[in-house]
Amino acid sequence: MTADGRSLDRLSGLGGIIGLYAGCVAIALAIAGLLVEATGGSASEVFAAMIDGSIQGPGRIGATVGVATPLLLVAVGTIVSTRAGLVNLGQEGQLYLGAAFGAYAGTKLGIAGPMVLLLVLGCSVVGGALWAGVAGLLRYRRNVPEVLTTLLLVTVAAQLVGYGLKNQWLLLAPSEGRANRQQISQQLDAATRIPRITWFGNEFPISAFAAVFAAASVAAILAWTVWGLRLRMLGFNPRTAKRAGVSEERYGGLALLASGGFAGLAGGVMLAGGDFGNYTLVPGFPVMIGWTGLLVALVARQRASAAVITAIVFAGLRTGSGFLAATGVERRITNVVQGLLVLALLLPPALLVLQQRRRAMQAGGDRR
Amino acid sequence: MGAEGTSPTPSGPPAVRLIGVSKRYGEVQACASVDLDLHRGRVHGILGENGAGKSTLMKILIGLVLPDAGTIEIDGAPVRLASPQDAAGHGIAMVHQHFSLVDQLRVWENVALGEAGALRQGDIRARVGELSERYGLQVDPDATVGSLPVGIQQRVEIIKCLRRDPSILIFDEPTSVLTPAESAQLFDTLRQVVVAEDRAVALVSHRLDEILRVTDEVTVMRRGRVVDHTGTGSTDAASLATAMVGRGVSLRSERVARSAADRGADRGGDRVAGVGPAADDPEPAARAAGPDVLHLDRVTVRDATGLPVLDRIDLRVRPGEIVGVAGVEGNGQRPLADVLSSLLGTDDGEVRVAGVPVTTGSAGAMAAAGVAVVPEDRHDSGIVAELSVAENLWLVDIERVAPAGIVDRRAMRQRAAELVAEFEIDCPDLDVPLFSLSGGNQQRVVLARELSSNPAVLVAAQPTRGLDVGAIEYVTDRIRQAAEAGLGVLLISSEIDEILDLASRIVVISDGRIVGELAGHEADRARIGRLMAGERA
Repeated sequence: MTADGRSLDRLSGLGGIIGLYAGCVAIALAIAGLLVEATGGSASEVFAAMIDGSIQGPGRIGATVGVATPLLLVAVGTIVSTRAGLVNLGQEGQLYLGAAFGAYAGTKLGIAGPMVLLLVLGCSVVGGALWAGVAGLLRYRRNVPEVLTTLLLVTVAAQLVGYGLKNQWLLLAPSEGRANRQQISQQLDAATRIPRITWFGNEFPISAFAAVFAAASVAAILAWTVWGLRLRMLGFNPRTAKRAGVSEERYGGLALLASGGFAGLAGGVMLAGGDFGNYTLVPGFPVMIGWTGLLVALVARQRASAAVITAIVFAGLRTGSGFLAATGVERRITNVVQGLLVLALLLPPALLVLQQRRRAMQAGGDRR
Repeated sequence: MGAEGTSPTPSGPPAVRLIGVSKRYGEVQACASVDLDLHRGRVHGILGENGAGKSTLMKILIGLVLPDAGTIEIDGAPVRLASPQDAAGHGIAMVHQHFSLVDQLRVWENVALGEAGALRQGDIRARVGELSERYGLQVDPDATVGSLPVGIQQRVEIIKCLRRDPSILIFDEPTSVLTPAESAQLFDTLRQVVVAEDRAVALVSHRLDEILRVTDEVTVMRRGRVVDHTGTGSTDAASLATAMVGRGVSLRSERVARSAADRGADRGGDRVAGVGPAADDPEPAARAAGPDVLHLDRVTVRDATGLPVLDRIDLRVRPGEIVGVAGVEGNGQRPLADVLSSLLGTDDGEVRVAGVPVTTGSAGAMAAAGVAVVPEDRHDSGIVAELSVAENLWLVDIERVAPAGIVDRRAMRQRAAELVAEFEIDCPDLDVPLFSLSGGNQQRVVLARELSSNPAVLVAAQPTRGLDVGAIEYVTDRIRQAAEAGLGVLLISSEIDEILDLASRIVVISDGRIVGELAGHEADRARIGRLMAGERA
């Protein structure tokens, strides 16, 4: 293949990718529209509500950014572990445990202030990393596939935090100021919250910048450092990596810890950021952010830079859907609409991977 | 060897005749115009190493693979075998190396699998009983297959195969899972099936002893071609072993012709200076002086079942010396290379590199100690196909172009560009993924990386496998030059010619043990062949 041929290929590739996304989304919108109309709703109203809720309404961009922040952090962590050839499916649990660790540090130690905020976030990183570490230990000491352990540990994490929320010595708020049997943590002190700023009427926590910075750092580390190169080596070809001096246990284990740490941080950021749960920890706190973050990484095709955009798109879907109830269309139908749009975003990466594989096979290069 | 001259030709049309059958997978020519006849009442052995094309040929026969070219005749009539059903319709059946049995089902249920129409349990049980009676294949039709020992499972597989009364039977490496006693019994059955009932049998194997014992005639395959066809009575283990791992006459002459052409061309100038003397050097071992750069001291590796795959290997490589490890494939070459790539830990013994003991099986330890490796399968442990050419050139020594852990792309690319030029690697750009390069160029990338890392010893395992003639010559020259420059080389190869061509000392490996050692100048094909066939030196 000549150099010209390749750059041409790349160009048509970029146009093709945009076209592919546009086509998929258009089809999803068409089906969704038909569905809404067929069940007696108004398609235009539904789409207007989604646009309104995600970007057009006053302050809604801020809300979208607020949701995008933990999504991006989860996705960035997922990218680290995926690049090392590991499949971490337990972000939802790691995030929950991270939030719980943060909540404990922020409400039960009896201290407050900006430094305590850093402690809260630090503890949530530790919580998430710890939970991923359990899977890492099982993987490298007992040969249990991390796909299974990370996934199953999600349920265990929910039970653990549930236990914490029933016991005052752990997470449960003191009985004054809460309904009798309500499971809720104490609210984070005002000084222990992530500062929020307002840009053009859109209010969001400054953790959004930190998340973008994290994405940029991870992209740079993977591309430019010895550690990143070795991690990719391990992900692509563990035997070549071992021969070249990459210990699977050390690099893979660290990648899994980092992945869990990012999910935990996402939990801490949700807790102290204000867009979720009003600075308290409650049962069901992760509200699928862990799972959605996994999708973000998937759609971004494991590239940290692309994950920034993808996180915002998924956050927009979520905030936009919040406004759907007002259109009077049945909730089950709006759920289908949302699902169709997610599907439309997931289809192109899958198609691209297939196409890439076919092209590599036809290119005549020697790949097995 | 004149195949037609020595091949016995029984009367009557053959049960199966393959004429000029070819099959290509991408770059690999799996079968190249193969001719093969199977006669009724005779066992035809098909011998060859892994990857020689035996399996592809058999898959073509049972309709799993369609050939690119060539014709198949059954009883003199051309047929097209587009599916296993077609083949079964023509009376062809195969006993697979890896059984096609369902562990959870009973014996009679397994035998019935694949039948169309109503399931008559009584009939099938009766048939199983009858078959096991007739062939001495005792088996309980109600036993669950998974609970039976492997030898009995194979009986089930054979009964399943015979149930349809096939006229043409293929046994694919049938003894690979059997004990010697079970093998003996299997061959009794096989002879009975053939001689008493006039079936045609193909026995695919890479084991010389069983081919010699059971077959009437034998075809030897190598690199997809038939290299020998002879009556079993008129051959012996040593000559079969030699044929199996290659006389490569045509290849060799092609190579000579090419290097002569190169000498004429101007670019050949420095190469001749490098290569010429070595080829005629009467005492290459004289160059080998000084302490051992590599010393394997009673190295033992056991597999999961506790059997040794490497058995007290003692090996020394001195600077400037090429030590060839010859042997039929699968006799410990892979684990040997894996130990020296830090991919496999040893159970006993010690590996010393330049006098210093190295921990085995610890990531990167061998590379750090100065063991460069050109692996047998570069996709397995030599390259990362998805990474760029430049990155692949720096996989092992990345720290040298990465001060403080940050990769200096410019330094990396600059040195990579030098290597690409020096090793004549044909690539459009240093940043393209390695998989876009041809196999020969990928191998050059591996060679460039390993030789440029300033190693103490080079381990080259089957370094020319799968390469075209030009690339073979290049790699061979490079290895020779490296040795001339003082590097110790351990050449693991099943190509006898390659070893005779390069090695100054030859050890022969068989069954995980070193069974003989010869100086390069006193080695010849026949002696090595005898050792490879398992005779003690």
